[in-house]
Amino acid sequence: MFRKIVLTLPLAMAIGHAGAAENYTEMAQDEILRALIDKTGSAYLGQSPQNLQMMPDNPAYWVAEDGAELFNTARGPNKVTLEECDFGKGPGVLEGAYVELPRYFEDTGKVMDLESRLVHCMTTLQGFDKDDPAVNKRHGSDSDMMKLQTYIAMQSNGMAWNPPMSHPLEKAMRDAGEVMFYRRSGPMDFSCQSCHTETGKRIRASTLPNIHEPEEWSKAISWPAERAGQQNVRSTEHRLRGCLWQMRHPGIVPGSDASIALISFWTDAARGQPAILPDLKR
Amino acid sequence: MLKKISGTAAVAALTTMVLAAGLLHAAAQGDADKADAVDYTSMTPEALAEHLIFKTGSFKTDQPVQEGGVAGKRLEQDETQRLCSALRDQPVDGDTAGKVSALARASIKYPEGGIKLGDWKVGRELAWSGFGYRVGHRNDDHSQAANGPGGNCYNCHQLATDRTGGSIGPALSGYGKLRGSGEAMLKYTYDVIYNAHAFFPCTKMPRMGANGVLSDEQISHIMAYLFDPESPVNK
Repeated sequence: MFRKIVLTLPLAMAIGHAGAAENYTEMAQDEILRALIDKTGSAYLGQSPQNLQMMPDNPAYWVAEDGAELFNTARGPNKVTLEECDFGKGPGVLEGAYVELPRYFEDTGKVMDLESRLVHCMTTLQGFDKDDPAVNKRHGSDSDMMKLQTYIAMQSNGMAWNPPMSHPLEKAMRDAGEVMFYRRSGPMDFSCQSCHTETGKRIRASTLPNIHEPEEWSKAISWPAERAGQQNVRSTEHRLRGCLWQMRHPGIVPGSDASIALISFWTDAARGQPAILPDLKR
Repeated sequence: MLKKISGTAAVAALTTMVLAAGLLHAAAQGDADKADAVDYTSMTPEALAEHLIFKTGSFKTDQPVQEGGVAGKRLEQDETQRLCSALRDQPVDGDTAGKVSALARASIKYPEGGIKLGDWKVGRELAWSGFGYRVGHRNDDHSQAANGPGGNCYNCHQLATDRTGGSIGPALSGYGKLRGSGEAMLKYTYDVIYNAHAFFPCTKMPRMGANGVLSDEQISHIMAYLFDPESPVNK
């Protein structure tokens, strides 16, 4: 009997270990969140049972469907699809592309996030003018930009955040973003740190994510996400804009190097944790 | 922290040497300064951050702001902000605490006629209101706020129990009831609202008076909300 236990023990441990670590990519978004809540007991992650219940009916899934159609439609003056667009893992490769952004791109010599890469492909490959509403309208579930971003990001659901840090420019941007994270300024003396480096703290009734708790931070940065109270799917740049607005800092230009530096740092902070894409938030 | 900067700079320098030329990155961003190409990888993170903030057109710095002037001014740091930012996640050290609290005490201005308690009902609204000073895609129009921009106290503090306050700062429920409203307590409270760094160097609390967020009159109403026995805070 003893021998039987000894032999099954490594097998049980192997199954248990594999089940805990690798299943996220096969999980629905709410299952991933439940797993993270079970793992951590985080007040931030578990603050809304109602939200968890609504996740299977996330309106963002419809937006992603629209995005899939747009992606595969020949559009713009050049009448091509976005299948030739390289999001970092090769032209048209979407699986796992979003969790490896921002990253350095040889063709532009810049570190780019999804939004700026999409703008690049829509203008250079499809030939849209940068002021064309298809490119310029960045917010709202009815925008091409949000449909495409939601679709593309969804192809990374459950995958570990893994922005590359091998190129010196990637590291430089990430490190500058870290300095900016801690940089207090403006009439309220706020920095990102003012709200995001302690666990379980609340602004009014909302529990805040701590950047030093990777499981919390993974949900925090899981955008695009449907904002239930705003009835629209919102992007990473939209979230950044909202933060800076509340901090009483000046508005930021989406796709600007300062915005990429911050997004770079905050994505690196969630490294290894499963992304929840698209997410549902209040 | 100094050690960390050296390490990062050393790695950046070494990597640059190893990879030789070809790592220049154009600084130009739309309407930004079309300077000579700037090598981000040869800058320290601190220098690059300042560069990104001020030299790349990343922020909408020319927007007019409610206090007058333009938004770019809000990105400049004063000594208190600079010293406190350098701490990152570390608790304040004695040297920084000394400098910051001295700066804070020197900044405090008392109202003409002395510290007075105003109307707690106005203070209640000011403590709840998060309106004011926001710029960017939507600018708060202060002429639309009957009592002026709010103090947003409930953002971080629990005050009266009829509304939900945050937990970033200590709970202030029963503030006046627990402390009484003697002269020393009034002065201490005024000082904390005006510039909390006087007592809590590198606190997260905004410098409501010193930064011009709240007027003398507004502070008097908020203090009434804290001290008046009739205020819900003390019920």
